[in-house]
Amino acid sequence: MDNVRILIKGAILVTPQQKKYHLKKRDLLLVNGQIKKIASKLDEKVDREIRLSNLHLSAGWFELGAGFGEPGHEDRETLSAGQHLAALSGFTQLVLLPDTAPVPDNRSAIRFFNDASKAGLTKIHPLGSLTVNREGKELAELYDMQQAGAVGFFDSGRSIESPSLLKIALQYSQSFGGTVFSLPIDSDLKGKGVVNEGKVSTQLGLKGIPVLAETTRIARDLHILAYSGGRLHIPGVSSAEGVKLIEQAKKQGLEVSCSTSLHHLIETDKSLEEFDTQFKVLPPLRTEKDRKALLKALAKGTIDYVQSDHSPRTPEEKQVEFDLAAYGTIALESVFGQLQREYDLEETIEILTRGYQFVSQETPKIEEGEPVNLSLFNPETNYTLQADQIESKSKNSLYVGKEHKGWSYGSILGDQMVLRETPPKN
Amino acid sequence: MERKGRKRRRLCGGIADVDIVKVMSELSTRHLLGIKDLTAQDIHLIFDTADNFKEVINRPIKKVPSLRDITIANIFFENSTRTKLSFELAQKRLSADVINFSASQSSVKKGETLLDTVNNILSMKVDMVVMRHPNPGAPHFLSKHVDVSIVNAGDGAHEHPTQALLDTYSIREKFGKVEGRKVVIVGDILHSRVALSNIFALQRLGAEVKVCGPLSLMPKHLGDLGVEVETDLRKALDWCEVANMLRVQNERLDRSYFPSTREYAQQFGLTGELLREMDKELVIMHPGPINRGVEISSEVADSDQSIILDQVENGVAVRMAVIYLLASKIKK
Repeated sequence: MDNVRILIKGAILVTPQQKKYHLKKRDLLLVNGQIKKIASKLDEKVDREIRLSNLHLSAGWFELGAGFGEPGHEDRETLSAGQHLAALSGFTQLVLLPDTAPVPDNRSAIRFFNDASKAGLTKIHPLGSLTVNREGKELAELYDMQQAGAVGFFDSGRSIESPSLLKIALQYSQSFGGTVFSLPIDSDLKGKGVVNEGKVSTQLGLKGIPVLAETTRIARDLHILAYSGGRLHIPGVSSAEGVKLIEQAKKQGLEVSCSTSLHHLIETDKSLEEFDTQFKVLPPLRTEKDRKALLKALAKGTIDYVQSDHSPRTPEEKQVEFDLAAYGTIALESVFGQLQREYDLEETIEILTRGYQFVSQETPKIEEGEPVNLSLFNPETNYTLQADQIESKSKNSLYVGKEHKGWSYGSILGDQMVLRETPPKN
Repeated sequence: MERKGRKRRRLCGGIADVDIVKVMSELSTRHLLGIKDLTAQDIHLIFDTADNFKEVINRPIKKVPSLRDITIANIFFENSTRTKLSFELAQKRLSADVINFSASQSSVKKGETLLDTVNNILSMKVDMVVMRHPNPGAPHFLSKHVDVSIVNAGDGAHEHPTQALLDTYSIREKFGKVEGRKVVIVGDILHSRVALSNIFALQRLGAEVKVCGPLSLMPKHLGDLGVEVETDLRKALDWCEVANMLRVQNERLDRSYFPSTREYAQQFGLTGELLREMDKELVIMHPGPINRGVEISSEVADSDQSIILDQVENGVAVRMAVIYLLASKIKK
């Protein structure tokens, strides 16, 4: 389309890293995917004018870990529906967890995601599998996948059992700056555990996964990293003690980054008392002490990123006995509304735009002449999430029934726009 | 209380009382999912009602017509001999219609979900389900999805509430009351639903509980439940008035938690020799089935101090009470 002109009226800009417009009310003229003008008042003839209640704008949010299921698990969520959901939820960028069947362990699989990404709205940054068929034996063609656009390598949902495999992966990937993901769970110590080992697991008779399973795995990985060099990313850290180990490693100058999942910032294992499988996630929900430590570490930057760990699951996977239920919760729609309950608006936006570092990009600027990459939201919309408001195809959300503070109108990336105008009623 | 008790006794007792007895008090819950959900008052109500039924089952005609309009399905997804027999007998003594279903003859192996299996049974107009299941929380899951009264007959390593009720009932029978008693539970606590339910029941009734066994068979966070762990059987026996000896559940162990049964018995087996050393009248319990020569020697199991067979008898009375009280809620 040529010369598409969009005028955003009276938006408050939230740009903690750009003092010029920070928290100021402005009109923005967007033409062909570029920010043309920013001024206190603009009167332009345009194709579309956007006026929304208490509209705020920031650089497009970056999601560090969400899975949809296509190919292989389209019944959970398709790629295009997932992208649309992410765009509606304010995310213009998304690191895609390779939770698919088959797993993406070669160039053409990565290309499949890239093609889908071009057609859609949220920019997808795919992860490739670390090993062939996610079996933890032979390294997949990491370089080839990175050339095709993979931003990291992860055997999704599986631990790297072999220390020498991790060592070799970290060594090999240095020539092209690859990032190796290692799930912080020692499978042997996890055993048949399904929830945090603690008072709650004892009362429920459910097998526990001790924090020890996380700390021994992180400690092992950090020792290997110190030896081999390379870039290590630890997704979904869940415990205070796990964070402590990473903090020490960072002080020693190791190139390690980590994330925690949104649910670990919001929930604890106490919610499991009714055996509700929506709260079954991996790593498991821990205690209030851990939750507090994770919140603090994310604010401080010891934890680099928060990931939604969006994991759609079908009713057949969740409406079964607790031991048999699949791990995972959907989360994309709740990220903003939940983070704002724990952090103020500026902190929340800062956290939501950290992910650009992960792909070695600068946070997009809201400035005349810059490409359009914007999230649109109302930070003051308070609502309680109801099951029937969920936009995702899968409804397995542990956030149902929770108060949310803040609601995303959607996002604009280049000349693609996804907007919803009516906020949820409470 | 005494007056109420007398009234119940009279009503339950008479063979002419064909209607369900109107109890003066009722349970606070419509299911028995676990001891955790019961109040102390609930437990006392069950005990008082069980007293009546114990009298009934010792009569020449051991049956009352109370539940002749109630249909109960016993659904067992895990093997059971004594619990199933005890439940079935309790139900039949109350004149309920009973159907039995066990996983070996079921469609579970054909891939049917728990919910579908149970819904199919319920379509046949069943009022109550007694279920045993290998997964913790399975009866809780069911209670949220089906409209029927559910009795948990054991869910994985979680709870076995009727066992704990009959155990504490037996302690009450022996001592007059449970409050203030010192009870030690010996054995594999990590995999035991009997232990967990007993801990909850004993604590709710004001008894003191310790557990004893190798640390590899103890939940790491048991202390959070207010339960002290003792690794020396001698010391544990020295402290307690009642010793509840559990069976090592080899079928539940996913790996080796101790080197051999022989070595386990050396440290945690209750023998006559040890008992004589104690020089006091300990009450010995066991939920069965017993492994003679492992956790308990034949001499101890068959001694006067053992109330193992009383437990079995009380099991029927207690289960009658539970079913009866829950059924009276269905009637409403």
